[in-house]
Amino acid sequence: MTAARARRAVIAGLILLVALVPVFTPDTYIHNLLILTFVVAVTASGWNIVGGFTGYVSLGHGAFIGVGGYTGGVLAAHWDVSPFLVAPLGGLAAALVALLLGLATRKTRGAAFVIVSYAMLELLGLVTRNWSGVTGGSQGFLMPLPSWDVRFQNWPFYYALFVLVLLSIGMTVAIRRSKLGLGLMAIRDDEDKAAGVGVRTAVYKSIAFMAGAVLVGVAGTVYGYYVSTLSVGTMFDIVLSMQVVLAALVGGRGTVWGPVLGAFLVVSLSELTNTTLGGTDAGAFRLIMFGGLLLVVVLLLPKGILPTVGNLLEHRRRGDTASPTGTRLEDTPLPPAPARSGTAPSTSDLLRVTDLTMRFGGVTALDQVTMAVPRGSITALIGPNGSGKTTVFNAIDGTYAVTSGSVTLAGRPITGLGRAQRAHAGVGRSHQLPRLFDSLTVVENVAVATGEFRLAGLVRSAVSGAEAARAAELLEFVGMGAYLQARAGDLSYGQRKLVELAQLLMLDPDVILLDEPAAGINPTLRARLTALIRALNDSGRTFVIIEHDMHFVLSLADRAVVLARGRVLADGEPDEVRADPAVLEAYLGADLAVGADR
Amino acid sequence: MATVTLLLQTLILGLLAGGVYALMSSGFTLVFGVMKVINLAHGAMIVLAAFLTWWVWDRTGLDPLLVGIFLSPVMGAIGWLLYKTVIARVQRADWELTLVASFGVAVAAGGVMALVWGAEGHAATPSYFTTSFELGPLVVPQAQLYACVGAVAMLAALHALLRGTFLGRAIRASAANRDSAALVGITVERTMAAMFAIGAATTGFAGAALSVLYQFVPDSHYRWIGLILCVVILGGLGSFLGAGLGAGILGVSEALTSSYVDARWATAVPYVLIIVVLLVRPQGLLGGRVRADGVPA
Repeated sequence: MTAARARRAVIAGLILLVALVPVFTPDTYIHNLLILTFVVAVTASGWNIVGGFTGYVSLGHGAFIGVGGYTGGVLAAHWDVSPFLVAPLGGLAAALVALLLGLATRKTRGAAFVIVSYAMLELLGLVTRNWSGVTGGSQGFLMPLPSWDVRFQNWPFYYALFVLVLLSIGMTVAIRRSKLGLGLMAIRDDEDKAAGVGVRTAVYKSIAFMAGAVLVGVAGTVYGYYVSTLSVGTMFDIVLSMQVVLAALVGGRGTVWGPVLGAFLVVSLSELTNTTLGGTDAGAFRLIMFGGLLLVVVLLLPKGILPTVGNLLEHRRRGDTASPTGTRLEDTPLPPAPARSGTAPSTSDLLRVTDLTMRFGGVTALDQVTMAVPRGSITALIGPNGSGKTTVFNAIDGTYAVTSGSVTLAGRPITGLGRAQRAHAGVGRSHQLPRLFDSLTVVENVAVATGEFRLAGLVRSAVSGAEAARAAELLEFVGMGAYLQARAGDLSYGQRKLVELAQLLMLDPDVILLDEPAAGINPTLRARLTALIRALNDSGRTFVIIEHDMHFVLSLADRAVVLARGRVLADGEPDEVRADPAVLEAYLGADLAVGADR
Repeated sequence: MATVTLLLQTLILGLLAGGVYALMSSGFTLVFGVMKVINLAHGAMIVLAAFLTWWVWDRTGLDPLLVGIFLSPVMGAIGWLLYKTVIARVQRADWELTLVASFGVAVAAGGVMALVWGAEGHAATPSYFTTSFELGPLVVPQAQLYACVGAVAMLAALHALLRGTFLGRAIRASAANRDSAALVGITVERTMAAMFAIGAATTGFAGAALSVLYQFVPDSHYRWIGLILCVVILGGLGSFLGAGLGAGILGVSEALTSSYVDARWATAVPYVLIIVVLLVRPQGLLGGRVRADGVPA
């Protein structure tokens, strides 16, 4: 506790110190240096929400400075008001551009985003240059002269940007702690999986992009006012964009203070070279230094200063004892299954798959598959490798768009819905190789899952309150209660399976699709899993289980569907299916027939 | 009649430019296809080759395009060095950041070129750089034609190398599956380095063509990488044929914009195309949709 308090005192002290600089010293050189630092800090913080939290690295973030600057400048001239008054509109314009940029990422990831962000920067610069009637083109655009008393020097710029830095930090903290922030980090780790646990990825990303741009746009107007003549070279500067990336990387991606710390370092360094290396070659040397620095940081300090220092301190404090190995599972009694909030059980089929056909190019993976899953049942989906079992899951949960056919859940067609909407409708699905968000903790992995979508819900705290309590409760239920704060990436294979189960229980699903839950885990864990599935089934949940371990799955299931070569081969009671000659020939073989007699 | 002539003339100029764009993009798209590395320094390598070409031409008076052929191994060696010192290391440390690292290289390289050759515009101007063949009313600039023919010849050689040699097969095997390639006895690391060097070697002639056809400054590499990105996004990232198709489309679109809209907007064409393609058909024209698996690779 005292460490946290000391940290807070140091931060408050530093903020106060920076706030009082203009009072202490009239030196405009220092003021100008800090103004530049603030601009980079605001932009780097915005970049961090997109590139750090969400994992979409952008090389064109400086464009939002330009959009804000020109919007504010043109509007201020048009209405003949102070640019300070229209600065929020500069922010709005930047947010709108960010939203458009976000649209281009609906279907693309990673590399394509970097490319489109770069294209945006260059294109906006070109448009500004060519649209000279409005922007002044290559002549530049003159901002009004400051109207205040010269004794106040640059104070209004200084404090406006200083407040924007504080707002940026506040926004970063708020996002970091919210359900939104957790969803963004989940998108960074595994975007498809995030959709599978109910994160509306397109909405989350749009909000993140806009949040990452809005304050940068406001700062752009203020900065434009400060430099007084807007030119494409300064307002859409690729080097500024690069300094922003550098600042965020040096300080630490995905941290709150990293981008701010980075901004101070990068601007100081830039200034140092400007003063020591004058002359015509100064620009070239600056490029070499920044390019080289970016390279050095990526090679030697890819996590950035703050996370690296944090890890060192953590390591020293706790030693090496924090690895997540632990209790034997059979020792812990099974807690009661979490309650279902939901509709009263009816006797009809909960999940119905009709004439499902799925083609990949010339390969027909599923051929008119029709199956029904009664409410409250445990249905086994079995068949040889490559028979299309996982493809059925992918069609049900929306990973694939089917070629033809339909899926209905509780009478409601869900074929046209996206993945997240299907999760909200009541489909929960585990993966053959468990997929978790490796950089998040176990409890965060569960808390990120959401069975509904409400905009207001996004601001709720993810690290405390009802959500986290429920996540902890579910982890307790699957037997992972001792590992709440462990990093998911450090867990073993079996532990990951249990966490993934808790994760999909968080969705409070109607039907749970388990893909080979028993594969590769030891007999104790398997017994535990059987007990968990039974308990959940007793509490009213419906299961569909893909499994190759026939004894495990057929002892659990009350129905079995056999797939072979993408078609349904048999469908009925486990004993019927086991005895079916076609099934024996296609899949099970003589061994299991003998086993069934025993 | 005049309108048809103008259209034909525009198409000719667009396609000639497209041939050079194709060569510029081929190395980039091959490296992406095999190694999944977006090498943002590729544009800087082309501009570097252009400066080297100009420098040799200026000193000796040798034909710039001929110089470009001999620059290929030089650029290949530079690429190999870049791979060993930067790309391979970053890939091991944090794969996501290779792109940022290559951008750092590009920026720094721009600085170095500005120190050596200055920031003013350069262009190699051999005797034929303003002369043209005339086909009736149509004009075929000689420099454009030679550059395009040379680029296509280079592309054909590259294609033969990838299809016909063991190295080519090893490269394609490593692209399909790194681990399996290693299991059947391919030294993947060495193959990757060779691949990267071959990709860089294509910038030799591409840079020479650039030096004859356009004026360039150290900062030009931002423009050229934007153009290359457009070509590969159009054709589909990693697709060799797609790069050819994308280059043709880009060349013709630029020429059409210059002729019918305004030359000032021609430079905006690549960026507009990038954004439109990513919105409408993100996998590009020839890029196949990767089968999305339920399990991560």
